[in-house]
Amino acid sequence: MTPPTSVTPPTAARLRSALPALFLVLLAAAGPWLSPHPVDVPVTAPYAGAGGGAPLGGDQLGRDVLSRLLAGGRELVASSLAVAALVTATAAVLGTVAALRPRAGRVVDRAADVLMLLPPVLGLLLVALSWPAGGRLAPALAAYVLGVPYAVRLVAAAAAPVVASGYVEAAVTGGERLGHLVVREVLPNLRATVLALFGLRFVAAVYVVATAGFLQVGPRPPAADWALMIRENAGGILLNPWAVLAPSLAIGLLAMSVNLAAAALGGV
Amino acid sequence: MNADPPVRADGTVVRVDGLTVAAPDGRPLLENGRLDLRAGRVSALTGPSGSGKTTLLRAVVGVLPPGARRTAGTVDVCGRDPFALADAELRALRRHRLAYVGQDPGSGLNPRMTVRRLLTEVAVERGPEAVVALLDEVRLPAGGDLAGRRPGALSGGQQRRVALARALARRPAVLLLDEPTAGLDPRLRDEIGELLRRLAERHRIAVALSCHDADLVARLADDVVELRPRTGAGPRHVPRPFPQPRSVPARAADGPPLLAADGLTASFVRRGHRIPVLHGVGLAVPAGGSLGVVGASGSGKTTLMRAVVGLHRATGGTVTLDGIPLPATAARRTREQRRRVQLIPQNPLGTLNPSRTVGSALRRPLVLHGRVPRARRDGRVRDLLEQVGLPAEFAARYPHQLSGGQRQRASVARALAADPDVLVCDEVTSALDAETAEAVMDLLAGLRARRNLALVLVSHDLRLIADRTDTLLVLSDGHAAEHGPTARLFARPAHPATAALLGRAASAE
Repeated sequence: MTPPTSVTPPTAARLRSALPALFLVLLAAAGPWLSPHPVDVPVTAPYAGAGGGAPLGGDQLGRDVLSRLLAGGRELVASSLAVAALVTATAAVLGTVAALRPRAGRVVDRAADVLMLLPPVLGLLLVALSWPAGGRLAPALAAYVLGVPYAVRLVAAAAAPVVASGYVEAAVTGGERLGHLVVREVLPNLRATVLALFGLRFVAAVYVVATAGFLQVGPRPPAADWALMIRENAGGILLNPWAVLAPSLAIGLLAMSVNLAAAALGGV
Repeated sequence: MNADPPVRADGTVVRVDGLTVAAPDGRPLLENGRLDLRAGRVSALTGPSGSGKTTLLRAVVGVLPPGARRTAGTVDVCGRDPFALADAELRALRRHRLAYVGQDPGSGLNPRMTVRRLLTEVAVERGPEAVVALLDEVRLPAGGDLAGRRPGALSGGQQRRVALARALARRPAVLLLDEPTAGLDPRLRDEIGELLRRLAERHRIAVALSCHDADLVARLADDVVELRPRTGAGPRHVPRPFPQPRSVPARAADGPPLLAADGLTASFVRRGHRIPVLHGVGLAVPAGGSLGVVGASGSGKTTLMRAVVGLHRATGGTVTLDGIPLPATAARRTREQRRRVQLIPQNPLGTLNPSRTVGSALRRPLVLHGRVPRARRDGRVRDLLEQVGLPAEFAARYPHQLSGGQRQRASVARALAADPDVLVCDEVTSALDAETAEAVMDLLAGLRARRNLALVLVSHDLRLIADRTDTLLVLSDGHAAEHGPTARLFARPAHPATAALLGRAASAE
């Protein structure tokens, strides 16, 4: 007996839930062209309140907060999306193989256990400091290495019941190779899990990349970057709260909307 | 709500009238369905697979397939309409009045719960004696450790009976069963039949069951509701009859064995303990031959078949194909070795990938083994569908749009697509109506005669075994009890287990 499942929402409704994420990502990508002022020239007094030519006020050097907000998201969003996509793809393949081949699975599990012991900030600093020329790539690499072990364990657990199902057994006895089993038989039935995982890994990647910005091991001043803005302007939070609140809200909204989109697309 | 008396004067508890259910794409799943269930009577739903038996039974519980809608008709259960009830009331109705046992009852049992907890969870009486009484009622041994096992450690027939016991535990007013006896051996089937009769009479339960077994329906049912195939589904598709005669000449049956197994042992691991299920069982089937495997439920038939095709790693013994030993697991066998031995598994519901169409499932073996040229593949998929009696447009459907019987036929077609030399069939006809089952078996007999296909048939249907097999292997508690020509074993069973299955006394041979 098949359990009663929820009714599939119409495609249009599902796509509507993906719109906020799409809008924010596009805005972050186009932001640098939309900013009214240059990001590295003071236009008002340091920590000036909102008004005049600066709708969100000025930052520690009197630069326009709105312009820096628009300009500072592109690279954060791009590297987080790339990291999330890579982590999810690697984990989907490794986790499914681990479920299909128990012996390989044990090796993958133990390797993941060891990597998980590494505290994220320590891992980030290790990568960034041993590869100073890496720039933006160093935190992205750290986020990837730190993200894969968690994701692999999750996919392997979700794949276990699918691997035991009749159709995978039928494919095995039908003569299918490992690659086909992973890509055509198991993963299509884990679509919801993999998309939810993508959303979670995106948030985790933003967390690592933003931490790198905050610790100034990724982007350096005077570059505009949301995480860097939070750190730079923390001292003047009482004078112009927008200089800290605006980039914080941007990061939060982005994480939420991407998860909303992943859940909507995965809700099969 | 209390205005309606729960039971009408004539004892009608469920009345379904003119019920029409449509799938999300507008295709009708059930047209003008009618069902009257009265307290103390057994009603049987019959009809070809895909005629909406399951949909009608599930509509009484208020569950329709995802996205499907009721477009016409009324459903009245104990004076209420399950589709109009608030959640809490519907839950109460399902909890106290209705019990539904689905087609694949094993998947309705929580795999993490023991049999004891599964029964007491819903039971009216929860004491240990009540559990023993329930197990006894469905003829499961209450003495052993069965109550402490989880569903994964039960055979298909045992899971079915646990699901039935769970349904009875709540003392329902209406008991709905979808194919309750599929895959049970005849003795057990008769016992379940008697049990249902007794329940209906003694506890005044209204029982409804869908059934393919004309025999059982004739003996058991007070009322028979025959569902016609849907008008929207086009003409009734019966598998194309094969020109070959039904009785295949038993010529090749004594050649050298094509597939042989020797001294197979296998076990399950439960809580770190090894529980042996097979003790040195052997089998042999020559090219063009046909071997029947019978045994009581839980005797290790399915495990033996899974060990032969390499899905269950045997702990000892060998399987040989053309005299060449096969590795113990399917993953280590070559693609050609795997192609030559195909399994049609017991449970037709889980055997098709839910995210691929039937056509793509049938096409894959053609592509993989490259035995059909690219240009002829579409035609071959249509042929295969036609041979198992499915219309060609089913190639575009997903498994969840097929009924249990239709899925079983698709799974037969997929196994044939690989063009195997040995076909291992685990209860291949259990979800099929008599006519379709006969046609599928004719198809296999034709392949035996033309292509020298070797068949291994696991079945509880003794008539099928007697008609379609040359040699017979009888399993009893994981041992090979008896082995020999089918006709001789049927005429003069030597082992008590064989005699018990046939319902006869063992001859002192």
